[in-house]
Amino acid sequence: MRKVAIVGMGTTKFKARWIDKTYYELAYDAAKMAMEDAGIGREEIGCAVYGIYNDFFQRQYQPDAFVHDYIGLGLKPMVRVNSGGATGGAALRIGYSEVASGLYDICLVLGVEKCNDCYNYEMGITTPEVLRAILYTADMTYDNPAGRTAASGFALAVIAHMEKYGNPTEEQMAKVSVKNHFNATKNPVAQSPQIITVEDVLKSRKIVEPFKFYDNCLYTEGSSAVILASERVARQITDKPVWISGLGASVDYVIPGNRPNIYTFESSRVAAKKAYDMAGIKDPIEELDLAELHDAFTGTEIMAYEDCFFCEEGDGGRLIDEGTVMPEGQLPVNLSGGLIGCGHAVGATGIMQTYEIALHLRGEAGERQQKNARRGLVQSIGGTLCTWTVCLVLEREDR
Amino acid sequence: MKDHEIEQWYSYYHEKFKIPKEYLRRDYEAELSGKNPMEAPLEIPDKMEIFFKYSLGQQSRFFRELRENKKIFGAKCIKCGKVYCPPRANCHLCYRQTEWVPLEGNGVIKACTVQYYTTSAFIKKVPFICAYVQLDGTDSLMMTNMEVEDVSRVKVGTRVKAVFREERTGSITDFYFRPVE
Repeated sequence: MRKVAIVGMGTTKFKARWIDKTYYELAYDAAKMAMEDAGIGREEIGCAVYGIYNDFFQRQYQPDAFVHDYIGLGLKPMVRVNSGGATGGAALRIGYSEVASGLYDICLVLGVEKCNDCYNYEMGITTPEVLRAILYTADMTYDNPAGRTAASGFALAVIAHMEKYGNPTEEQMAKVSVKNHFNATKNPVAQSPQIITVEDVLKSRKIVEPFKFYDNCLYTEGSSAVILASERVARQITDKPVWISGLGASVDYVIPGNRPNIYTFESSRVAAKKAYDMAGIKDPIEELDLAELHDAFTGTEIMAYEDCFFCEEGDGGRLIDEGTVMPEGQLPVNLSGGLIGCGHAVGATGIMQTYEIALHLRGEAGERQQKNARRGLVQSIGGTLCTWTVCLVLEREDR
Repeated sequence: MKDHEIEQWYSYYHEKFKIPKEYLRRDYEAELSGKNPMEAPLEIPDKMEIFFKYSLGQQSRFFRELRENKKIFGAKCIKCGKVYCPPRANCHLCYRQTEWVPLEGNGVIKACTVQYYTTSAFIKKVPFICAYVQLDGTDSLMMTNMEVEDVSRVKVGTRVKAVFREERTGSITDFYFRPVE
């Protein structure tokens, strides 16, 4: 396998509604930024991987073909990836394979998502219809008719974790929300920068037990892209490559009744271990400088501390209580604001997280720059109770 | 647009998508009045819809038993003996067939939450319980929702029993679970 570097990247702003752009117009913006950042044109791209989650969101089946056309990559091969919330991470994994295998020297990995074109006319709002579109990804015969949401699946897991280990508590979850909304205030592309208190979170309206409004990420529109290159090409076109030194993926049984338990996300543990082994990491909390974890919900960020081996199973709540994961802590988590603060533009999210880590490793993260960031983790999860996980370890050149 | 053209626009989308005209007027009056600049983003009503005559394949008997006999069946692996409900014709561990076994329709809640916000299709029913039920005699979980007067009374460990609806269509919603007192 050849070494693979990120040599260019770009992201649109993450926001609730890009009313003035279609999904392929958003993709064009991110692709253009990434190509300019890498200093290459569309002719030099060998192949592409597109992360696009929900066809209903785009109001288009096979939206990848229209993105590919619109950004001028005709006659080059491409593949579309759809792995629920982990779509962005899964797209990066395929892009990595294209380059590492030697098939191509330069691969564009681009995620894009609209969602708030979905609309409930009776209520005059988007969210319930967005949720209805998502529910088509639940088993149509047995699960869809029960009216659950993505949030209720993860809520069931968090409750099971609380019952087994006594945490995360509602206060611990609220602290994660406060942290991620605050972190977003330093990120110019974030959707939801806010200074809020634990009290604000605890008092916000209930969504699904134990999550209140501020425990949830919002639905986001946006596009993010990175350009991956082989070592030989990376050396030619950039003096600050960011290397993908570890990569792990796992897909659990989608039907939770087929799993031994639901209080831990086994796919995350398998993917993190695989990524650490590949990167030669033995003690992640000591050897990582920052992490972007998939905080679709506050409770699942705390479970991710455990599933990414930052602490023992059942001990995740301690890391937010002790400040380990705060911006000034030993291992800051979600300096971008994460999904809660920056946003969750589903297909783009894993790529936005990767963009964020790479920005720190390049020393270009501005006000929120993590000092001496050398190595970071991206965790991208999705599907019913975390069916998919992809983990990436990114490293700066001179470590 | 002239007034009669605006009315035609409302009638066209009302008839095409069954969206009440009052909602269309609320959302599109400003646009149709011509106030928006020519270069401003333009939104239109749309809907994606496909009809099916869907085959339930090897699970067909399960749904016919619900509809005809008010019976819930599980599927038991002929090798390892694991009983699945929802049923499956093949055991994914042993790669062997399953056989039908009748269940009593009693079970226990293994995981449970309360839904206060949800999709368009269910939002008028909140708050309701969303839970995984393990039916007695099975080794799997069934996702279900339960509309109960007091959501705080349903917990992990609560015993439930399946109740069949008078009107049955041959779908998983032909029965629902009720807590056992």
